[in-house]
Amino acid sequence: MGARSSIRWDAVSIKLVFGLLSAVALVFLMAPTVIVLITSFTASQSLKFPPESLSLRWYAALWDADQMQRAAWNSLVIAFWTTLISVVLGTAASLAIARGQSKLVRAADVLFMSPLLLPALAFGFAALIFINKLGFTPSILFLVLGHVVVCVPFVLRTTLAALSQLDPALLEASESLGGSAWMTFRRVTLPLISSGVGAGGFLAFMASFDNVPVSLFLADERTEVLPIHLWQQIETNLDVRTAAASGLIVIFTLVLMLVAEKFAGLTQQMR
Amino acid sequence: MTASGSRLALPLAALFVAFFVAPLMVLLLLSLHADVAMKTWTLDNYTKFITDRFNYSILIDTLLLGVKATLVCLLFGYPIAWLCARASARWQSVLLFLVILPILTSVVVRTFAWIVILGRQGVLNQIALGLGLVHEPLKLLYTETGVVMVLAQVQMPLMVLPILTVLSKMDPNLADASRVLGAGEWRTLWKVTLPLSLPGIIAGCILTYSASITAFVTQSLIGGARLIYMPLNIYQQAVGANNWPFAAAISIIFMVAVIAVVAVLNRLASASETYGRT
Amino acid sequence: MTSSIERRSFSRRTLIKGAGASTLALAAPSLVSSLAWGQSKTLVAATFPGTWSEADRQIILPAFKQQTGAAVTQSIVLGTDQISRLVAAKGNKPPFDVAFFDSPQVIDAVRDGLISEYPVAQSPNYRDLLPGAQDKWGPKITMQVIGIGYNPNKIKTPPTSWEDLWDPKYKGRVGLTALNSQLGIAFIAELNRIKGGTDDNFEPAFKALRELLPNVGAIGANLGAFATLWQQEQIDIAPYNFNFVQTLKGKDVPVEFAIPSTGPVGWSTSLHLVAGAAEPELAVKYIDLHLAASIQEQMLKPPYDVIPTNAKVKLEGAITKSLAKSQEDLAKVRTLDWAKLNPQRGALIDRFNREIKV
Repeated sequence: MGARSSIRWDAVSIKLVFGLLSAVALVFLMAPTVIVLITSFTASQSLKFPPESLSLRWYAALWDADQMQRAAWNSLVIAFWTTLISVVLGTAASLAIARGQSKLVRAADVLFMSPLLLPALAFGFAALIFINKLGFTPSILFLVLGHVVVCVPFVLRTTLAALSQLDPALLEASESLGGSAWMTFRRVTLPLISSGVGAGGFLAFMASFDNVPVSLFLADERTEVLPIHLWQQIETNLDVRTAAASGLIVIFTLVLMLVAEKFAGLTQQMR
Repeated sequence: MTASGSRLALPLAALFVAFFVAPLMVLLLLSLHADVAMKTWTLDNYTKFITDRFNYSILIDTLLLGVKATLVCLLFGYPIAWLCARASARWQSVLLFLVILPILTSVVVRTFAWIVILGRQGVLNQIALGLGLVHEPLKLLYTETGVVMVLAQVQMPLMVLPILTVLSKMDPNLADASRVLGAGEWRTLWKVTLPLSLPGIIAGCILTYSASITAFVTQSLIGGARLIYMPLNIYQQAVGANNWPFAAAISIIFMVAVIAVVAVLNRLASASETYGRT
Repeated sequence: MTSSIERRSFSRRTLIKGAGASTLALAAPSLVSSLAWGQSKTLVAATFPGTWSEADRQIILPAFKQQTGAAVTQSIVLGTDQISRLVAAKGNKPPFDVAFFDSPQVIDAVRDGLISEYPVAQSPNYRDLLPGAQDKWGPKITMQVIGIGYNPNKIKTPPTSWEDLWDPKYKGRVGLTALNSQLGIAFIAELNRIKGGTDDNFEPAFKALRELLPNVGAIGANLGAFATLWQQEQIDIAPYNFNFVQTLKGKDVPVEFAIPSTGPVGWSTSLHLVAGAAEPELAVKYIDLHLAASIQEQMLKPPYDVIPTNAKVKLEGAITKSLAKSQEDLAKVRTLDWAKLNPQRGALIDRFNREIKV
C-alpha cells in the first residue's frame, strides 16, 4: 500500500519536472520563429514586438527587392544541383559502405562524415585558398562542390540507416532469379530505400539553401546567396524587409517539411 | 561484398580527396609559410598564436562557450526526448516535427529573431519587467549569456534526436524490472535510463558541441564586437586583415581543438556503450 | 505486408520519378545561364552600409535601369574591406566594378594599382562638379562629417563636447563602433588629437578609451549593429556620422546630431573605376549618374541629406541647420592626415580589439 502511493508520487513528480522543462524548451524552440513571423507583419519601420499595427507592406516591398530575389534564385539553383549530386554520389557510396567490410571502406565512411564535425568555416576558407592557388576564381561550380562536401553526410546518414533495414535475403533472391546488379538495385533496393534517400535529399537541400560558412568564402557578389545577403542586410541596415524575407523562408521551410513528411516520412527517418 | 561493389564509393571518394582533403592540406601548408605566395617557411604564425594571451584566450573562450551551450541543451533536450519516447506514435511525429523545424529554418532567420527578443525593448525584457521580475531591462544582447541562450536554442534538435534514437531502442523491460523491484521513477531514471542512454547523450553532446563552437552567424550577431570567438577571429583575419597565413594557422589550431574534444567524447561513448551490456 | 510496402513504394517511386523528371526538365538550362535572372546585364557596384546603400537603392538604381537597362548588384562593404578584397583578387576578375572609397582608401588604391584613371571625357556631368571634387582618379561625390549622436528623448540638453561622453551620468549609455569603419578610426584619431597625442603616439587616445569603458553600454561590431543599438535604445550617446543620424531619423528612431565644440571632423567620399572591371562602360555611366545635378538634388533630400558636390546644387535642409551654411564652410571642416594614419590602421584595430575585449 505504502509502496504503491510512493511510486505514484514519483511518477507524477518526474512527469511534472520533465514536462515543465520540455514545455519551456518547446516554447524556447518555437518562439523565435513565431515572433519573426508576427514581426514581419508590422506596419512601422522598426522591429518592435508586438507590432503596434499590422500591414503587408514589407512583403509588398520584397517585390522590388531585386537583389534579394536574385540571391534567392541563386540559392535555389545551387541547392538543386548540390542535392542532385549529393544524392547520386551519396547513394552509391552508401551502397558500398553498407556492404563493404574492408578497412578502406570503413575509412571512407569516416572521411565522408567528417565535414559534419569539422568547422565548416575552416573548410570554406581552405577551399578558397585552394581555388586561388590553382589560379581559378570562385564560381558556381566550386560553390556547388563545396556545398556537396558539407551536405552529402546527410544523405549518407539516412541512406545507410535505410540500407541497414534492408533484408539481404531479398537481394539474394533477386540475384538468384537472374537479375543483374543494376536491375536488382533499380527494382528491389531503390524502392525500399527511397524514403531514406528522399529524406536525406531533403536535408541536403535545406542544408545547402541555408549554408553560411562555405558560402561566406566561395560566393561573391555575382553568385550571391540568400543567407549571406540576409546576414549582410542585418549587419548593414536593420531593414524590416529582412523580417518579411525571413517570414517567407519560414513558410517555405514549413511547406517543404510537410511535403517531405508526407512522401518520405521524414520524422520516421530521424528516429 | 565484391570489389566492384566497393567501387561505388569511388566517385564520392574522388570528390572528397580533390575538394576536401586537398584544400585542408593546402591550408596546413599555407599556415607554415609567411606569405600567400608560399615562398618562405616559418612557424611564426603558430608561435604568434600561442604566445599571445589575446589569441589563445579567444580559443579558450570558444571551447568554454561550447561547453555551456551543450550543458543547457542537455538540460532541456533530455526531457523532450524522454517525453517523446513515451508518447504515442502520432504525438511523436508532431513533437519531432516541432523539434526539427527550427533546425531547418535558416540560421540567419532564427538568430535575427533573437535580436528582436533579447533587445532592451525586446519580448523577454517586456515580460520580465511586466511580471516585476526585474526593475531594469536585462542586458542580454551582446553578452555571453545571450550567446549561450541562442546557441542552445539553435542547436537543441541536434541533442534531442540522438537521445531519442537511443531511448526508443531501449528495452522497456529494464525500466519495468526496476519498478517492479521497488525503485521509484527518479531512481529508475538515475540508475537505469540515464546510464543506458549515455551513448545517445554523448552523441548529442558531440554534435551540439561542434555546432556551437563553429556557429559563426550566431556568435557574431548576438555577441557583438566585444565577444570575439574563433570563427569571427578567422573571418576577421582572412577577409578583414587579409592575413591568410595567420588565418590558416588559426583555422588549423581550431580544427585540431575540435577534433581533440570530439575524440575524447567518442572514447567516452564507446566506453559507455559496453556499460549497458554488463 | 510485402505487398503493401510494394504498393506504397511503387506510388512513391512513381511520384519521385515524376517529380525528378519535371525538375530536371525545368532546370535543363546549363548551370551558368540558369543564374541569369532576366536577360539584362548586371553591374556590381560597391557601396557603404547605411545611408549610401539605401540612397543608391532608392534613387540611383531605378535611374540607372532607366538609362541603361542594366541591373545593379550592390556590394555593401566598408571601404577598408573593399581594399582587402581587391588586393585578394589582384590578377583575377575583381569582385566589383565600381569602388566606393573614403579619402584614406584612395591613397592605398592608387598605390596598389587597384583602380583605373577616371575617363573624364566619357563623363558629361563631371565638369559641373566643384573644383575641389574633381579628381582624375575618381570624382568626389559627397563629404562625410562626424560629431556626437544623442537620443533627444533621454538627453534633453544637447551635448557640446566630446568630453560629455565621459560624464558619469551616462554610465552604461555610451556607444562605440569598431575601428573597421571610417567612423571608428576618425573618432580615435580625433580623440588622440584632443588628448595631446600625435600621429606617431596613440597612447593618449587609448588611455582615454580605457577611462571611457565603464560608460560604454555596447560596441557595435559594424555599422548595422550600431544602427540597431540606436533603434533598440540600447545606447543614448555616441560618436556618429551626420548622414546616418538623418537616415535613422527618417525611420522614426529618436536620434539627433550635435557638433562638438572642437569642431566637426570630415573627409570626402568618391567613386572609382576598378582596374580590370568586368563592365567598364556601365561602371563609368554609373559613376557619372552620381554626379548629375538632378540626382544629387534627390540625394540631398531627407532622409539621406547627402552633401552634394555638384556646383549647381544648393545646400538646404538639415545640412544648413546643423552643419554649414555654404560649400565654403564645408571646405573648412577639418580633415585628418590619412597618409600618416593608413599604415597604422591594422595596429590600431588590433589594439582597440584588445582594449575592449571583455
